[in-house]
Amino acid sequence: MSTKYEKEAPSYTMTTVMEEAARCLLCHDAPCSKACPAGTDPARFIRSVRFRNLKGAAETIRENNAMGAICARVCPTEKYCELACSRTGIDCPIDIGGIQRFVTDYEEQEKMDILRKGDSNGLSIAIVGSGPAGLQTAATLLQKGYAVNIYEKNEKAGGYLRYGIPEYRLPDEIVDVEINRIVNLGAEIKYNVTIGKDVTMADLKADHDAVVVAVGASEAKMLPMFEGNPYVETAVDFLARVKEAKGDIDNIPASAVVVGGGDVAMDVATTLKRLDVKNVTDLVYEEFDEFKASKKELDATQKAGVTIVDGYVPTDVDGNTVTFKHRHLDSEMTIKTDLIILAVGQQVNTDNLGVDTDHGEVQHAGYKTDDEKVFFTGDIAQGDKTVVWAVRKGKEVAEEIDQALLGGNK
Amino acid sequence: MISKDLSVEFLGVHFENPFLLSSSPVDNCYEMCAKAFDEGWGGVVFKTIGPKHFKINEVSPRFDELTKEGTPFVGFKNMEQIAEHSLEENLHDLRHLKDDYPNKVVIASIMGTNEEDWETLAQLVTEAGADMIEMNLSCPQMTSHEMGSDVGTNPELVKKYCAAVKRGSDLPMMAKMTPNITDMVPAAKASMAGGADGIATINTVKSVANIDLDRKVGLPIVNGKSSISGFSGKAVKPIALRFLQQLRTAAGLEQLPISGIGGIETWQDAAEFILMGATTLQVTTSVMQYGYRIVEDMKNGLMHYMEDQHVEHLSELIGVANKNIVPAEDLDRDYKVYPKIDWDKCIGCGRCYISCFDGAHQAITWDIKTRRPSIDTSKCVGCHLCNLVCPVGAITTGEVVMKPGTKGNPEDVQIESSRLTHPVQ
Ligand SMILES: Cc1cc2nc3c(=O)[nH]c(=O)nc-3n(C[C@H](O)[C@H](O)[C@H](O)COP(=O)(O)OP(=O)(O)OC[C@H]3O[C@@H](n4cnc5c(N)ncnc54)[C@H](O)[C@@H]3O)c2cc1C
Ligand SMILES: Cc1cc2nc3c(=O)[nH]c(=O)nc-3n(C[C@H](O)[C@H](O)[C@H](O)COP(=O)(O)O)c2cc1C
Ligand code: SF4
Ligand code: SF4
Ligand code: SF4
Repeated sequence: MSTKYEKEAPSYTMTTVMEEAARCLLCHDAPCSKACPAGTDPARFIRSVRFRNLKGAAETIRENNAMGAICARVCPTEKYCELACSRTGIDCPIDIGGIQRFVTDYEEQEKMDILRKGDSNGLSIAIVGSGPAGLQTAATLLQKGYAVNIYEKNEKAGGYLRYGIPEYRLPDEIVDVEINRIVNLGAEIKYNVTIGKDVTMADLKADHDAVVVAVGASEAKMLPMFEGNPYVETAVDFLARVKEAKGDIDNIPASAVVVGGGDVAMDVATTLKRLDVKNVTDLVYEEFDEFKASKKELDATQKAGVTIVDGYVPTDVDGNTVTFKHRHLDSEMTIKTDLIILAVGQQVNTDNLGVDTDHGEVQHAGYKTDDEKVFFTGDIAQGDKTVVWAVRKGKEVAEEIDQALLGGNK
Repeated sequence: MISKDLSVEFLGVHFENPFLLSSSPVDNCYEMCAKAFDEGWGGVVFKTIGPKHFKINEVSPRFDELTKEGTPFVGFKNMEQIAEHSLEENLHDLRHLKDDYPNKVVIASIMGTNEEDWETLAQLVTEAGADMIEMNLSCPQMTSHEMGSDVGTNPELVKKYCAAVKRGSDLPMMAKMTPNITDMVPAAKASMAGGADGIATINTVKSVANIDLDRKVGLPIVNGKSSISGFSGKAVKPIALRFLQQLRTAAGLEQLPISGIGGIETWQDAAEFILMGATTLQVTTSVMQYGYRIVEDMKNGLMHYMEDQHVEHLSELIGVANKNIVPAEDLDRDYKVYPKIDWDKCIGCGRCYISCFDGAHQAITWDIKTRRPSIDTSKCVGCHLCNLVCPVGAITTGEVVMKPGTKGNPEDVQIESSRLTHPVQ
């Protein structure tokens, strides 16, 4: 039996997926398909499900998106395809993510092997970082015939898929399956190698025809007043610790305070509740009408029993006692707690990687640097900071490399 | 994306895939057929062309649908006759289709009122470049009794008109049969005797689909009245498959080339028709409901099926199921198989209980406290109605027992059925 922390929401059965697919209007010029950042064609795969061609549906998803089973689970569809869905004119949008999850589960159950390695073109590419952007870049390049080496500073691949998104939303097993597909296509992943420290960019460039920097925003931000405080942990450190231990961590606190109001804060707060922490209080700088977290995440967090207090900023901390003040009202609150988790954002570290970023991203469009051998992609490139955008940027940087090295010819 | 050879040979003509639009409004003109070819159809049976002297005058509206609960288009009723476009326009379109799509198959459907009509039309469509002729002997709503299913149910006329077409053309020819007949074999044999090379079936089934309860008239209402007319779509698939089976098992027709029609919508339907003896497949209603694009999933799904079956050519599958459909008296009646209920899957709705009590043999007992059914084997006859109504697939096949006084080993009995399991757990 999986624990509360590990348990994913139930998925469709053959009968219920047909019921959901039957709600799809099979639109002409389908708006959902135009609204996917990664160019997935939901209208097409839902139609395949509707006409009982599950294998064809799996092909449509996988050929477009090497992270198909992951996106099915974590994509904020309410901002993309489902926002555009015509069915909203009748009641509520089609559960596109849910149908995609069913189809990709079927793909795995049937052991389908859809992606094909391209005939070798003799060129080799280094990818720095094995998050979704690096992985998708690898998948696209491998299909075009490039050899691919991925360098990852951590012990395991996946970036925030592995160390950020909680198990109950994205099981480790799914991340493994998706990465294995790419390894089976021929990607070589080298672990525990920090580029810019253990190996230099110059070395990578000497050994490869191009280098792609896909390091994401993998470091947590700190607020100066909390520095060095033993009661304080950053959101991504906490999430990584819990996910690695499959929820089985030591010293589960009796109460916790979360600082921050984005989706990451919602994941932290919900994770704490799933670990049976009794009092979880999330204090958020923004007021509810200017909230950063998606409505879906916010609702789920509140439903999990988290107390969310909006409009407060921390002004003072003394060990395990934090004081918050309201931004506009004359109101102050002091909380004593066992654990303080800071979910105030992540930052980029591109030291010695030959890529300049400011405010978390490169300040120009596209994926090229001044060095014609160095490209970048993922969260450090312009565009949304989501998995589906990482997939899009991965495909696009691969095309750009192919264009630069081979003029797009085979 | 999987890629497999779906090509078939039918009446000496090569088809890049077996999927054809059947003769109907879905292939009324050049633009429609061109779009369908572009979207992947292997051929078209162009909307039935009639003689110049027969004037077409259609009613409005002309369609109705049968629904069940939330499902539209369970079946479809139409009151349409043959092509509304002029003979010249139709011949012009056939010619241009053949010029622009030399690798697609263009079949001309024709219908006359007498031998001379049939012969002339056959000549004209041959000159226009058609690859094949289909004789429409089966439209059930013609305004003339010299045409349509009134002819198709009369073997003598069928034979005579087939011979007339053969005089007018040496193209391969199939006769399209009506299901509004008890036994299709005499009409099919008469066609072959008259020179037909194969059979297309089924055309639509005569029907009254719905009655307007306030106005007390059938639907669709045409200025206060309605008529019996043809029914098609998913609901007629079982009727079509039955006729295919009877044709392919009639003495002398075992190798009968058939173009299968009736309710095809998915690759599974297509595979069923092939297993029952069809070489090519024709579609109308599901195209009217969903558009030409449905061919993508039919083709792709059929390729995956071939892969799963380890088959390189569709010809290896044609008619493979015919031998496994036998007369009722030849079935093994020596055993019964009890249902097996998976209580972990069961959600306690009680539908199996209701259906077994009200529609079967009162063999399910219902525990009011736990809301769980169990089977009373002393009453259960093994009909498996309960399996069909269970919403979660909790009921499958269980123990096989031999009936008293019979010999045989329960372990030798084949009971597996895809209907009794769910493909994804
Ligand atoms: C808690 C959390 C929840 C999230 N939930 C969602 C969600 O539900 N839906 C969604 O769409 N998005 C979500 N996101 C955002 C999403 O995870 C990111 O947008 C995405 O992971 C970015 O992909 P990436 O490949 O650019 O970077 P990352 O996933 O950050 O991967 C970068 C990789 O590079 C490695 N690396 C860094 N520096 C080096 C170096 N010098 N040498 C070698 N390797 C290096 C890192 O170890 C890491 O493995 C979430 C993020 C977090 C933190
Ligand atoms: C609106 C409509 C018009 C049709 N017109 C013709 C016709 O002109 N000639 C013909 O041979 N069959 C005609 N048919 C019958 C179809 O070709 C086909 O045999 C029948 O609809 C069963 O197939 P389906 O279930 O795929 O629709 C027509 C059917 C419909 C629904
Ligand atoms: S927009 Fe919605 S209803 Fe239309 S095809 Fe897409 S999922 Fe179906
Ligand atoms: S098999 Fe038939 S008789 Fe037996 S329990 Fe089910 S419905 Fe009742
Ligand atoms: S129909 Fe199925 S789910 Fe309902 S009570 Fe019977 S076994 Fe259980």
